[in-house]
Amino acid sequence: MSKKYRQWVKEYQDQAWTVARYILKDAQEAEDATQEAFVKLWNNQDSIDPERIKPWLMKVTRNGCLDRLRRRRDNVEFDESYMAGEVSGPMQDVVANETGVWLKRAIAGLKEPYRSLVVLRDVNQHSYEEVAGMLELNLAQVKTYLHRARKQLREQLAEVRP
Amino acid sequence: MNEYDEKWEDKINALLDGELSADDADLLKAEAVDDRDLARAIVEAYQLQQAMDSVHVERAPASLTKRLHAIPRQQKPKFSLFQPRWVTALAAIPLVIIAVSLMRPDTPSASDIAQARQEMAIAFAYLDRAGVITGREIESTVGHTMANAVTGSVNRAIKSQNLTSKEKEV
Repeated sequence: MSKKYRQWVKEYQDQAWTVARYILKDAQEAEDATQEAFVKLWNNQDSIDPERIKPWLMKVTRNGCLDRLRRRRDNVEFDESYMAGEVSGPMQDVVANETGVWLKRAIAGLKEPYRSLVVLRDVNQHSYEEVAGMLELNLAQVKTYLHRARKQLREQLAEVRP
Repeated sequence: MNEYDEKWEDKINALLDGELSADDADLLKAEAVDDRDLARAIVEAYQLQQAMDSVHVERAPASLTKRLHAIPRQQKPKFSLFQPRWVTALAAIPLVIIAVSLMRPDTPSASDIAQARQEMAIAFAYLDRAGVITGREIESTVGHTMANAVTGSVNRAIKSQNLTSKEKEV
């Protein structure tokens, strides 16, 4: 295995996994989608600008997930157990936090591209420019859509908070 | 939609991004004193920011890491005859050969020169002969045309004289 590829796995697997997890809301399918994205990365590594590996991988992961959603045709429903606190292991911290659980549910319930925007920008902490490249949007569109998404989340949060 | 939306949304989002300048923060605060909707939006933004702090990038499960590390072994070897760059390289070989042969200076051998001279002598002999035949044909054609022209005019003159004498007799 190339040292370069091993480094990419180490650096980007968590972010790609997070994107897949939020979009697909199914652990097994998210694993499959993330693996597919890394297979594409391996097969196309010579043609990708080394500086653009991360945005390329996030974009391919997201597109793969959206393709799966289209095939599934039930992109409204999601895995309640994932959001409701039945997850063990590294997720326990978040699950223990009520607001965290609620917010994960709310983000997962957003429509595209709002959900991807919030995951990429607010969860994965990519820059606006990177997000624009990943979603093939311009900077103004990214800001506008993200503002709308956050506004929805703010309003939902206000409803559940006393 | 509230009045503040269009005007202050950018600043509220800058607040969420942690990129709001001190001046803009003061401006926002001052405006919020008289605008209850804006004040509520700012409070909600703070709440969302706090909630976002509890949501992080998730650690990929070990099973996924294992699958990702297995990819290089499972995929085809990097060197393949059917990879695009090799296909391109193979396709380029005939082109290179043709290009080199075209660029090579043309230096005929002594036998080539001798054969060319012989072929040229034959060609000139043929041209000479063809020229003689053509000359004769031209002479013949021109002579015939000239003869026709002379006899034609003589005949017309005789016919005319005959007609005139007959008219006189009548």
